Amino acid sequence: MSAAWRASLQRFLITGPPLVYLLLFFGIPTLIMVLASLRLPGEFGGLAPLWETGPSGTELNLSLESYGRFFSDSLYAWLFFKSFLYALVTAVACLLLAYPLALLIARSPGKRRDLLVLLVILPFWSNFLIRVYAWMIILGPESVLTRTLNALLAGLGIAPVELLFTPFAVLVGLVYVHLPFMVLPLFANLEKHDPALLDAAQDLGAGAWSRFWRVTFPLSLPGVYAGTALVFIPAFGIFAIPDLLGGTQGIMIGNVIKQQFLDTRDWPFGSVLSMVLTVGALALAGLAALFGRRTRV
Amino acid sequence: MRILAAVLAFAALPVLAADELHLYNWNDYIAPETVQRFEKACKCKVVQDYFSDNEELVTKLAAGARGYDVLVPTSNYVAGMAKAGWLLPLDRAKLPNLKNIAPAYLDTPFDPGNRYSAPYAMSITLIGYNEQKLKELGVTADSWATIFDPAILQKIKGRVSVLDSQREVMAAALKYLGYSVNETDPKKWQQARDVILKAKPYWAAFNASGYIKELASGNFWVVHGYSNDIYQADLGAQKAKQSFRIRASLPREGAVLAVDTMVIQKSAPRPDLALQFINFVLEGRNSADLTNMIGSGNPNREALGFIRPEIKAMKAIFPDEAASKTLEQLKDLTPKQRQLLNRLWTEIKAK
Repeated sequence: MSAAWRASLQRFLITGPPLVYLLLFFGIPTLIMVLASLRLPGEFGGLAPLWETGPSGTELNLSLESYGRFFSDSLYAWLFFKSFLYALVTAVACLLLAYPLALLIARSPGKRRDLLVLLVILPFWSNFLIRVYAWMIILGPESVLTRTLNALLAGLGIAPVELLFTPFAVLVGLVYVHLPFMVLPLFANLEKHDPALLDAAQDLGAGAWSRFWRVTFPLSLPGVYAGTALVFIPAFGIFAIPDLLGGTQGIMIGNVIKQQFLDTRDWPFGSVLSMVLTVGALALAGLAALFGRRTRV
Repeated sequence: MRILAAVLAFAALPVLAADELHLYNWNDYIAPETVQRFEKACKCKVVQDYFSDNEELVTKLAAGARGYDVLVPTSNYVAGMAKAGWLLPLDRAKLPNLKNIAPAYLDTPFDPGNRYSAPYAMSITLIGYNEQKLKELGVTADSWATIFDPAILQKIKGRVSVLDSQREVMAAALKYLGYSVNETDPKKWQQARDVILKAKPYWAAFNASGYIKELASGNFWVVHGYSNDIYQADLGAQKAKQSFRIRASLPREGAVLAVDTMVIQKSAPRPDLALQFINFVLEGRNSADLTNMIGSGNPNREALGFIRPEIKAMKAIFPDEAASKTLEQLKDLTPKQRQLLNRLWTEIKAK
């Protein structure tokens, strides 16, 4: 076996399985979606047959109609934009909350660090929906939190507020659910920083603030980009949280996609919407990767 | 598509074993004692799987789910499911108890001659309310105006929920405007949308099932919901020793009646057990179990003798003749109509 041959075999063994996985579970389903977006909805769900033989001969049931409906109606673009804003605010809030936490964990001594990481992962042990339902109780109008808050507001002469079924509740849910996805990549990055760099910066006269902004933060950018992508992309397409915590105007694009596959039984239109979502998410992931690479140098 | 269908079908396939009846039913939609009695009678096991709305059931079957014996769709889905070739015609000779069903619920346009379906239980989509609160506020709940008229809504702002269902909310708005729930004229749909958009700022949420708990805990004062859910909210309020009771009101304009039916899946592993089960449930006593448990409406004449008198007296569960005449069952829409409705619904929810 020649060395070159062995090297390429090794490369294949390492990159092969994930490639096959991506092809099977991303490539092929995306292709199915592209095809489905060009077909017509079936009467009882699913898709209409690809061709039908009627009195006027065989007709191919392919059409760009679903794309036409999407592009001729600003309502859907507005929903994409609204979902984008929700996802963006979620990502920024997660970043602001997660960064100090990740830094604290990364700089903690061994045993305590392990415990803190465990605490970050702990919520995953209980079901996602149960955690969201817990928020419904916490934010409900008769909850201790809401009552205390409204009692305080009343003391200041401010009218009582509703917490549940508001955009605020949706954001709380989104941030809560996605926070660990920001903490973990940030921690993984911050943990690897060489403390000698900070010592060197200090020796050269940099204060604490300057050490953070000019050494730690630039070095952590790949973690920031990775965490932002991990939070932003799933938050963009989510439907369960706006369904449960959102009020009468809380829907996001994910809810509309879900409606196409369930209530409306319009799989082609649902495919168009999810393709736009996939393309948007891929473009943003691409941007994040590009920035990440640039700053790594 | 095939691959997707195969994957979904595989995921949905229950373990097939002898002497098991696979029932695909709504959540909490059969009394445990009925199941126990049937298991004893058939010397078999009942394996249940649950769906939370008809669309979920239809979507799963469209994706190729197999292995169920008895399914419980609402009547307006039966014709479509039969046309799609998913249902087995009923062997009427094996269903002598079908005669227990009141004639008004047999041989309907949804399934002429009951070729595929036998009525199971019913619910009416109506208004549930917190009796004490509405009395305090001087609000009545005898009309759809309670959830659509801003003049009334301003007294109960943020304490109202409507169903998270495009068909049901549209149907209520159409009734409020004096139209049939099955109206499909786009102009009238737009009128209904405008009614909904004017009322929406006063609603707390579109809520599919959480409203039971919210009514019982006093968070919601008025809901658009199913009669049996509202009955359960009242039970919940009593159990929690609340100072208020939850009542149901059938609006005078009329409402949607849903008749859920039992059908047999074409690929049923045990059509014999399925028929035995359907005939068993059609027995008066077994049929009454469900009504006594969840307050569902009951089309079974023989069940009446077994139903608790306080439930039988509730007009929202057993409407009198005059009220029954205002009830309508939803008909299925065409794909084009569904697209238009969804467009309006998305607009309603996004604004």
